[in-house]
Amino acid sequence: MTPNAAGSTFSMTSEAEHLLRLRKWLREELVGHGVPKQEQPNLLLAVGELCANSIQHAYEGKGGHPINVSVRSSAESLVIEVEDFGKPFDPRHYDAPDLEALPESGYGIFLVKTIADSLSIDVAREHGTRWTMVKYRPGYGPAASGGGRT
Amino acid sequence: MNIDVTQASGVAVVVPRGDLDMAAVPHVRSALTGLLDNGQSRLLIDLDDVAYIDSSGMGTLIAAMKQARAAGGDVRLCGLQEDVRTIFEITRVMQAMSIHPTRQEALASWR
Repeated sequence: MTPNAAGSTFSMTSEAEHLLRLRKWLREELVGHGVPKQEQPNLLLAVGELCANSIQHAYEGKGGHPINVSVRSSAESLVIEVEDFGKPFDPRHYDAPDLEALPESGYGIFLVKTIADSLSIDVAREHGTRWTMVKYRPGYGPAASGGGRT
Repeated sequence: MNIDVTQASGVAVVVPRGDLDMAAVPHVRSALTGLLDNGQSRLLIDLDDVAYIDSSGMGTLIAAMKQARAAGGDVRLCGLQEDVRTIFEITRVMQAMSIHPTRQEALASWR
């Protein structure tokens, strides 16, 4: 465990080709922040989904626009933020996928909500969206104290 | 992403190598639809060399499966690595697709 590890930020532009570089950076960050090995793949997936969402929806598939990913941690939790400066996410227009219908798309936010212990969305900004994903360390968080997931 | 395609007992065995993410999707989609459009309706995708799949990659596999099943065939998977199982489990795609531990078992499922 690496409590109170200082945060760091990765910056990319909105081309899908940069997602590989993001994952390489994030893998190292997760190790440095003491994330258990078995939890790392899911966090890579969740952050990848948020960045892909920014590329596809916030920037409507157009390249050249900024996406920032930051990671910080404490003794209790890991906090990952993904922010873009494009078209803001509108929760009113989000529908969870109908899994029984086996859709070909629309799984991204659902996956993030399932993997993260909590997910908050800040669209009260001049531009874009900041997603804040929290993953509690074993023994911490509402689930550890008998509470529910947020 | 590199994609190898071979034939085994009337099944096209597709072996992608690399991460099946948003960047790889156009290439993978092109390879799969190319096979399906040319009448190859039985596809086995061996994921043994794929360490990461995101929802767009999984969606490409689902789309190919639907096209294959509509033609009387199927797209089956094998070699799913432990690190990529979660996306299939969370989305329940694990139950909807025919997924086998090994290539041999997957090919046998067609007999």
